Amino acid sequence: MATDITVQLDRVSKSFGEFKAVTDLSLMVRAGRVFGLLGPNGAGKTTTIRMIVNITAPDTGSITLFGGTINAELQNRIGYLPEERGLYRRMKVADQLRFFAELKNVRGKDVNAKIDDWLARVKLPEWKYKRSMELSKGMQQKIQFITAVLHDPDLLILDEPFSGLDPINVELLKEIVLDLKRAGKTIIFSTHQMEVAEKICDDICLINHSQKVLDGSLREIKSSFGRNAVAVRAIGGDGVLDDPELVSKLVRHADEAQALLAPGADAQVLLKRLIAAGATVEKFEMVEPSLNDIFITKVTEHA
Amino acid sequence: MRKFRAVLKREYIQRVRARMFIVSTILLPVVMSLFGIVPAIVMNIEAGGPMRVAVIDQTGKMYGRLQEALATDESTSEQENEPRTGPEMATRAFRLEQVASIGPDAAAERTKLDARLQSRELDGYLVLPPDFMQTGKAEFFNNNPGDVISRRIFLSALERAVREQRLIEAKVDPQTRQGLFQPVEMESVKVGSRGEERDAGGSFVLVFAVGFIMYLAILMYGQVILGAVIEEKETRIAEILFSSVRPFTLMMGKLVGVSLVALTQLAIWATAFSAFALYGVNLLASRGLKTSLPNIPLAHYIYFGLFFLLGYFIYATIYALVGSMVTTTQEGGQLAMPIILILVVSFYLFLPVSRSPDSSFSFWVSMIPFSAPVAMLVRIVTQTPPFWQIALSLLIGFGTVILITWAASRIYRVGMLMYGKRASLPEALRWARQA
Repeated sequence: MATDITVQLDRVSKSFGEFKAVTDLSLMVRAGRVFGLLGPNGAGKTTTIRMIVNITAPDTGSITLFGGTINAELQNRIGYLPEERGLYRRMKVADQLRFFAELKNVRGKDVNAKIDDWLARVKLPEWKYKRSMELSKGMQQKIQFITAVLHDPDLLILDEPFSGLDPINVELLKEIVLDLKRAGKTIIFSTHQMEVAEKICDDICLINHSQKVLDGSLREIKSSFGRNAVAVRAIGGDGVLDDPELVSKLVRHADEAQALLAPGADAQVLLKRLIAAGATVEKFEMVEPSLNDIFITKVTEHA
Repeated sequence: MRKFRAVLKREYIQRVRARMFIVSTILLPVVMSLFGIVPAIVMNIEAGGPMRVAVIDQTGKMYGRLQEALATDESTSEQENEPRTGPEMATRAFRLEQVASIGPDAAAERTKLDARLQSRELDGYLVLPPDFMQTGKAEFFNNNPGDVISRRIFLSALERAVREQRLIEAKVDPQTRQGLFQPVEMESVKVGSRGEERDAGGSFVLVFAVGFIMYLAILMYGQVILGAVIEEKETRIAEILFSSVRPFTLMMGKLVGVSLVALTQLAIWATAFSAFALYGVNLLASRGLKTSLPNIPLAHYIYFGLFFLLGYFIYATIYALVGSMVTTTQEGGQLAMPIILILVVSFYLFLPVSRSPDSSFSFWVSMIPFSAPVAMLVRIVTQTPPFWQIALSLLIGFGTVILITWAASRIYRVGMLMYGKRASLPEALRWARQA
């Protein structure tokens, strides 16, 4: 069932001179799912993506795309929104979009209809004949997003697609991404913003210092970490939460704290100790660790 | 191929539509003709009236001759034996006045003339001593020794006047006099395989014109190509492009696209120029003047076209190569300076090559792609080399174009992967080799 897997990397390595960008990376992107490629800055996310879209070739290892090896033909089935992105400043939006479609071998009359359709979806229809230099940065980013999806790709690769966007537009693009997923597209989503990834990814792969740290379905990963975190809102009893025997990590928010239980510690013991210390417990809830917590735990473990 | 066309089309349409293109198409010929006309007009401005010169003619024969010589225009005079330099100078008019001055009065006359010079009633006075016809020594007293042009004209007129007078004194009759100054005509006849061909250097002029237009096109469009290659780096579009199109296709598309813009502009100018030229020829014909096109075989025209394209593309690809190594247009402009130098040097090669088109020196420079366009064209119109040499030169040339473009696209791609870094030369070489 090779066609179930849109992208497969098998022990892929890439270095630039002395610098190892990607080391021995294997991963699998399943069709019709949103795959999060996560990691801190400089982890090797962008290099990995560039190898998938055939901008650079791996030094060793192999990449399988849609069940075959990458070639120019398969490039046309990919939509790519790089982190480094721009538009031709003096070109009109519609001309620009048509040009990028032509580069994916899409042309003809229906392109114009598609352009209208997409401009409407990102709420910029009146900017069709404006030069891109007249657009605000956020508007340009939405146009860049259209360049990645206009040719109706089967695989969509988005590298930090929401950086610098306001919350309303983040929401707008997120909905579009989820729509595309529902339409059966495969999406690779690269980011270091865990909160965003948590909301839209089905599967994730965490990389750090060019190496894979963790991968699998987000659901499974979270449950494997267990419900070992407690959300606490209590008045008094502060010393208890600082006991390293019980709490390995404590994050204080405005009015509540998130406590990661120390290995072997029991939540019930923690609750009893809090009450014994005279605290008024307003909230005490077992929660799944956030992706951010997992990310930080894993990254510091490997450091 | 369709992606190549897409890139080419974008480059072409965006540039031809740009206001800059339309403005420069119209304005450049205007500016160029202004450069031709304005200096000529300025130099012909006649500030002040005619030059007032008094003549103390102690020989008693020269005054009339001098007046005659000044009246006949220098350019139509038969004694014109030195080549004219510079543009047509304004022949400032002279107003002569004879001062009777034979004998002891001379000294007194000169004091009087000096006074008139001082009060600016006079611009100068000429003293021709009694033995002037033998010694040829005269004195010219004037206010403005810096006016070399007027002095030269005056001197030349005086020379002619003396020559005329001496011939008369030698009793040479007017007909013989005219015969003596009959100008020489030398017609150059090329002896080729097809017999004798009369060609007054027309094809040579054409080679020069082809070379010049090439030079102009590169000067104007080299920077445009540089900018076109850098554009995607500066706007950060390169990565999107490379996920869709091969770097070589992109580079070729840009190169050809911009070149078609250049050709479009040249074609517009050529059409306009031909229209004017035809009008001019007709005008001359209606006045009974005969003009004819230089007698050039058709094959030569084809070679002109091919080598023009070769020359243009060789230098255009170097600009593309420079563009692939730098990150901003300013940096590129500095790196591009040596290109112009190579271009100029190769242009001047036409002199040694035209002197000995069959030498091994000429052979080699007509094979090196950077000098081939001008050198080979000179050889073709002088002593057409064997066909294989022409074909080989073209082959090497266009091969080099492809090779440079290929290298440029490699460097360009690797450079893109390392944003914001300008390639040093060894790095560029390594990048070209890297996959």
